[in-house]
Amino acid sequence: MDAFSFLRRRTFLKLGIAGLAGLGAAGGALWSMRGQAPAVAGLKVLDGHRFATMKAIAEAQLPLESAAVTSDHLARMFDGFLQGEHDENVADLATALLLVEFGPLIFEGRFVTFSHLALEDRRRHWRGWMESELALRRQVALAFRKFLHVVFFDDPKVWPAIGYPGPSLWGMPAEEPTP
Amino acid sequence: MSAGAIHDLSSDPRQGERSVDVLIIGSGCAGATAARALARAGREVLVLEEGGDLTGQKLTQRDGRMYDQLYQDRGGRMTSDLTMAVLQGRVLGGSAVINASDVVPLSDEVLRFWQRKHGLTDYSVEHLEPHRHQALADLRATPIPEEQVNRANRLLREGAAKIGAKGEVMLNNRVGCQGLGTCLIGCPIGAKQNPRVVAIPDALAAGATFLCRARAVRIDDASAELKRVSVRVLDANGYHEVGGFTVRARVVIMAASAVNSTQLVLRSGLGNQHAGKHLSLQPQLGIVARFREQVTPFRGIPQAYAVTEGERFDDERGLWGFRVEAIMGTPGIIASLLPRLGAEVMGAMAAYPQLAASLVLVPDEPSGTVGLTKAGRVRIDYEHKDNHKERLREGAKLAARCYLAAGAYEVEVPMHRPVVVTSERDLALIDAIPFEPCTAPLMSAHQQGGLRMAASEAEGACAQNGLLYGTRDVYCFDAALYPSSSSSHTQAPILATASFLSERLLAKG
Repeated sequence: MDAFSFLRRRTFLKLGIAGLAGLGAAGGALWSMRGQAPAVAGLKVLDGHRFATMKAIAEAQLPLESAAVTSDHLARMFDGFLQGEHDENVADLATALLLVEFGPLIFEGRFVTFSHLALEDRRRHWRGWMESELALRRQVALAFRKFLHVVFFDDPKVWPAIGYPGPSLWGMPAEEPTP
Repeated sequence: MSAGAIHDLSSDPRQGERSVDVLIIGSGCAGATAARALARAGREVLVLEEGGDLTGQKLTQRDGRMYDQLYQDRGGRMTSDLTMAVLQGRVLGGSAVINASDVVPLSDEVLRFWQRKHGLTDYSVEHLEPHRHQALADLRATPIPEEQVNRANRLLREGAAKIGAKGEVMLNNRVGCQGLGTCLIGCPIGAKQNPRVVAIPDALAAGATFLCRARAVRIDDASAELKRVSVRVLDANGYHEVGGFTVRARVVIMAASAVNSTQLVLRSGLGNQHAGKHLSLQPQLGIVARFREQVTPFRGIPQAYAVTEGERFDDERGLWGFRVEAIMGTPGIIASLLPRLGAEVMGAMAAYPQLAASLVLVPDEPSGTVGLTKAGRVRIDYEHKDNHKERLREGAKLAARCYLAAGAYEVEVPMHRPVVVTSERDLALIDAIPFEPCTAPLMSAHQQGGLRMAASEAEGACAQNGLLYGTRDVYCFDAALYPSSSSSHTQAPILATASFLSERLLAKG
C-alpha cells in the first residue's frame, strides 16, 4: 500500500504548496529558477509560467516532434478548457501545474524546473510522475495525460498516422472550434 | 390538451417564478418515463434538464466536443481519488443518449433478492411484469443481428468458443443502425431508441414542458404542500450559471441519476442517515488486444457480444461474478486509456485498426458514498473491496485467454505500468495486479444507490414508492433507489421501475 495513499488530492496539493513555500523561504532562489514569465498573448486563464509548464508537459507526453499538432496549440486548448471549468478545478489544476514545474526540485532534489529540462530528461522525469509510488503524483500525470490524449487524437491531422478514416457521416468540420 | 415544448434557457436566462403541479428533475430514463406517464394522465408536468438538446448533426462524432457536451463534468467526473472515471450523461434524454445501447432487463432473481434481502415487498415479479414489458417495448429491444456483429466482437466470441466459455450476443435498442461506431458520443441518425427518441416526444405530445440548461440546486419547504425548488440557468455550453429562478411544485420527482439526485438531497439538507450511502459503481476494467489482421473496431456496433461465463447470482449479495464485454471508442478516448509517453503513444495508437478491446464488468457491493465538496459540488468516494479486485483479475484473465485463443499476439491490461500477456503462461502477471489507486483504467457507467429504498426509515432513505423519508411528495424515481445492482446495464431496469413508480404515484391521486 502506498504510504501516501491516505492523502486526498486537495490535501496533497495544499501540502505541496506548503512545502513549496517552506522551500522558498529557505531557498530564496526557488522562484527565480523559473525565470521571467513569458508574455503570451490571448491567454484566458493561465499565466505565462503555467502556460509554459503545460506546453512542456505536452512535449513530454506526446511525440510532437513528428506531429502536425504543436504544444502551443495543446496548451491553448487547455487554457480554453479551464475557462469553462469550476473555480475549484481551476485552482487544483493551476496548483498541479506549479507542482509539476518544481517536480525536479521536490522529487529529485535538482535545482532546475520542469520546463527547463531537456526533452529526453523531461520525459524521464515525467514518467516518474506516471509510475510514481505516490498516488497523487500518478493522479496529476493521469489528469494531464487524459486531457492531452483526447485533444491530440481528436485532431484530424493526427488520424492518418493511426489509420483512422474519421467519423463516417457527413463532412465533419476540419477542426474543432477553439474554446 | 396542447402540445408541450422544449426550451433552452441559456438564450433567455432571466426567468420569473413558475408554479407547476409536478416538477421532474432530470430527463433520462427515469425522468422522461415519469413525464410521459404523468402528462398522459393529465398532470401539469415541467422537466428540468441540466444539459442541452443535442440531436442530429449536433452530435458531431468527435471526442472533444461530445465528451464536453454530453457527459457530466465534461467527461471528467471521477471518484475523489481519481481512481475511477464516473461516466454519466448530461443531455436531454440522459445517459441513454451516450450508452452502448445494451438491454439487460431487470431479472426475476434481482426482484426476489430485493424482496427477500431488503424487504421490498412491493417489488414482486407480478407487480413489475407489465412495467418490464413496457420498458422493452419502449426500447424496441431485439437481439443484435448477426450481420451487425463486427470483427472486434466476433474475435471475442471466437476466442470464447475456443476455450469453451459461455457468452451471448446482447439485446440492443437500435432501429436502423448504420454501424457508425460512435454510440458512446451519441447517435446522429437517431437509431438508439432512447428517451430522446421515444418517451420525450410522447411526453411533449401529452403536454409536458422541458427546460434545458436548467440545473436544480436546492429543494426548500420539502414538507409543505408547495415545494420551492431553486434553479440555476446555465450558459449555452453548460459551463457557468448565468441566471436563476424558482419553481413552486406540489410534487417533486428527482430523476437526475444516482449521483445527482443524491447530491440534490444533500445540498438541500434533506434525507436521513442513509442519504449519500450505499452507492454502487459497478467497476469496469479496460483490456486491449492486438491482432495482426485488420479489425477496424471503430466501425459497427461497439458492444455486441458478452462473455457471461463468470456471471452468477449470490444469495447474500445479489448479482455477482463478472462479465467480459467487447467495447471500442473513438481515438481520443482509447488513447486516453493507454499509459504511454512520447513515441510510445503513437506506436500504440498506430495499431488502432488492429485493436479489439473489452471491459470486465463487476457487479459490486454498494461500498461508495456521495458527498459534497465545500463548494457544494459532487464528491464520490468509493471503497474498492478485495472481492471486486479479485473478480476484475479473473475477468481480465478470461478476456486475455479469449483474445489469445482468437489469435491476438498480445493482450494488455493498461495499468500505469502496462501488464502485457502474450501467452497463457503470462496470466500470472494479471494475478499480481494490486489495483492501487490511480493505476488502472477503471470506469463506472452504471451508478446505483445513494438514496436506497427500504421498507422502513431505519433501513433506507426512500420508501418503496420513492418518497424521500421526511418529506411530503418529494420522490426519487431513478437508480439512486436501488439497494443492489439491478442489472449489468441499467437502462431497462430504470425504465421499468420509473414506470412502476409513476403508476403508483398516479394511483395515490
